[in-house]
Amino acid sequence: MTVVWSQVVGQAEAVEVLTKAANAAAMIVRGEQAAAGGMTHAWLFTGPPGSGRSVAARAFAAALQCDSGTGCGECSGCRTTMAGTHADVRLVVPEGLSISVAEMRALVQTAARRPTNGRWQVVIIEDADRLTEGAANALLKAVEEPPERTVFLLCAPSDHPDDVSVTIRSRCRGVSLRIPPAKAIAEVLVERDSVDPDTAQWAASVCGGHVGRARRLATDEAARERRAAVLRIPLGLRRPGDVFTLADELVKAAETEASEQSESRDEVEREALKTALGAGGTGKGTASATRGSAGALKELERRQKSRATRTQRDTLDLALVDLAGFYRDVLVTNSGSDAALNHPDHANDARTAAASWSPESTLRRLEAVLACREALELNVKPRIAVEAMVTTLYYG
Amino acid sequence: MKIRVERDGLADAVAWVARSLPSRPPVPVLGGVLLDAGSPDSEGEALTISGFDYEVSATVGVPATIADGGRTLVSGRLLADITKALPNQPVEIAVDGARVSITCGSARFSLPTMPVEDYPQLPPMPPHAGELTGEVFGQAVAQVAIAAGRDDTLPMLTGVRVEISGETLTLVATDRFRLAMREFTWKPSGDVEDAAVLVPARTLADAAKSLGTAGKTVELALSSSDGLLGLSGTGRRTTTRLLDAEFPRYRQLLPTEQTSNAIIEVSPLVEAIKRVSLVAERGTQVRLEFTGGGLKLSAGGDDEGSAEEELPVQFDGEPVTIAFNPGYLQDGLGALHTDRAELSFTTPNRPALIKPVDENGEVVAGYLYLLMPVRLPG
Repeated sequence: MTVVWSQVVGQAEAVEVLTKAANAAAMIVRGEQAAAGGMTHAWLFTGPPGSGRSVAARAFAAALQCDSGTGCGECSGCRTTMAGTHADVRLVVPEGLSISVAEMRALVQTAARRPTNGRWQVVIIEDADRLTEGAANALLKAVEEPPERTVFLLCAPSDHPDDVSVTIRSRCRGVSLRIPPAKAIAEVLVERDSVDPDTAQWAASVCGGHVGRARRLATDEAARERRAAVLRIPLGLRRPGDVFTLADELVKAAETEASEQSESRDEVEREALKTALGAGGTGKGTASATRGSAGALKELERRQKSRATRTQRDTLDLALVDLAGFYRDVLVTNSGSDAALNHPDHANDARTAAASWSPESTLRRLEAVLACREALELNVKPRIAVEAMVTTLYYG
Repeated sequence: MKIRVERDGLADAVAWVARSLPSRPPVPVLGGVLLDAGSPDSEGEALTISGFDYEVSATVGVPATIADGGRTLVSGRLLADITKALPNQPVEIAVDGARVSITCGSARFSLPTMPVEDYPQLPPMPPHAGELTGEVFGQAVAQVAIAAGRDDTLPMLTGVRVEISGETLTLVATDRFRLAMREFTWKPSGDVEDAAVLVPARTLADAAKSLGTAGKTVELALSSSDGLLGLSGTGRRTTTRLLDAEFPRYRQLLPTEQTSNAIIEVSPLVEAIKRVSLVAERGTQVRLEFTGGGLKLSAGGDDEGSAEEELPVQFDGEPVTIAFNPGYLQDGLGALHTDRAELSFTTPNRPALIKPVDENGEVVAGYLYLLMPVRLPG
């Protein structure tokens, strides 16, 4: 397997389909007759969060732009695609909560361009589920009949109509990614991030199939600590007063994690843009080169802020998924099934809980967590939604 | 990298490249200019300076003495500011780790570099197709580009079609309501077959403006199979990405017969249109009534403001009453670049043709502006 594909973890079937398509695409570029159905002009990557939809889409784009047509990871086509600067690969990464019509109209223009290097014009829309209805409609015509050398790659959690409108869905070829097996995640952590095998094993077993989260848990002590804090909640609720302390902790943990993630990233981006706009020179008169760049920096800050809101929501959601996983473990333990636990390292807690709660009350708690996730999606203030949830967790 | 260049050539080159850089780069590296010294692509000992914004690339070659070749990427804005301010002495540019130092006389500057390996590959220049004078090209593009659509949802109408067919070069653009076409002769190189490509109107107009200075020659580089149009002149080269869309079959739209035609002075007509259209709500329409006795312009109606004006006209054929969007009509008249215009009609609901007329009253061949009329009220 070539370099770009090795980033797509535990998705052998999908990689096989995409490699075939990339080969067919390379044949078309060379002007040979490719087998029918090899290459398709619009793709929809679906799979649970963390399964690597956008990574797969980028790897596919790199393979399409690769000099050798395989995704060697070495040539300038592969490198610039993975870095997000290739001239013929346009990436749409929604940083806010939705993708606007205006953005999609501009994208339709880009999609109508011929590729500069004679290969493919690739358009990647990460999180196509965030397209507003109008934005999806603006895109329809282009996705249905794109120019000869334009390829659309859309990513969404699933092809359910709630995520991707039926009209878009029906115009794309689907690639479904599965939850990557723990073994594959552990291997990747060891090989790519040089994590020691034990930690990698543990992180892979508790991450719920989310590769990025596994890496974070394996490499970041603070992230491990925050996960432990979330999992202390179910058994930590002893008095009515604990409700507020623990709810507060949960929200705070999510906020800190989000701001830590954003801060490091924001700073790097700001520096890169400042350098591009002329900062950092020394010598007489170089200070004035940055005039007029305040607007561009403001624009970046606005985007970063809107991304921070989203990151915060996503991390809180991740914590809730951990919590829901624990209640599911309790039910599994209760029923005596030998299904794999979400949190094998907290099996003792799950046994303790199973002994003292009735299955009905565990189920009510699980429902409360899920209701809280839904409430957050509907823009309820996080603190209020979480407090309501923790109250139910306490009373059962 | 370590090189020595003349100040003037460097400053001009950097200023020209930096002008095409985006003011708000979508990714930071696009705010940079690429300095490439002694690469195998460049001829002899030369420094090439390039910028790219995914849409248009700009490259200039500058003669240089190269001690040590290499590539580096620095902020275009900063470099343009520095080179502009340098004294008139040889400039030394050297890369030292993550910074570039520029020395010129007693002035010293140091700039941070950006990751050159993340910089997108610059598109290669298509095969040379022929050349023409910058003036003619600049004017032709401006005359045609006004008719191109601005609606981003219909990409095929936002372009200018460039057709080469032997010694004839044709430029056409339309937005469904009007169509502008310019045909002229040029010097093809003979190496490239006849071709037709669709170039985004806005970028073509910008490129033609920046290259089409008086007395210079512009070289065109294109082929049907490439995704690019190349324009070059006096050491400056730009490439523009093409639209991959089908242009409407426009030749069948051009009227072959006419029932009446009018020859009229352009500037009094434009003035009159401006005055009369003041009462046309949101610029909807002005009505033109041509008779043997003259032209009556009117706009507005009974329940709103109305205006009328009469102009002398040299008119042949059936009297006709026809209405146009005043903005589109003015665009067409303004693009003629002659004192008089010929307007020809068939019926009030068929398109009208506007052509330039020279001092002798003869129609100047090569340009036409086709305009759809607006439906007359009642």
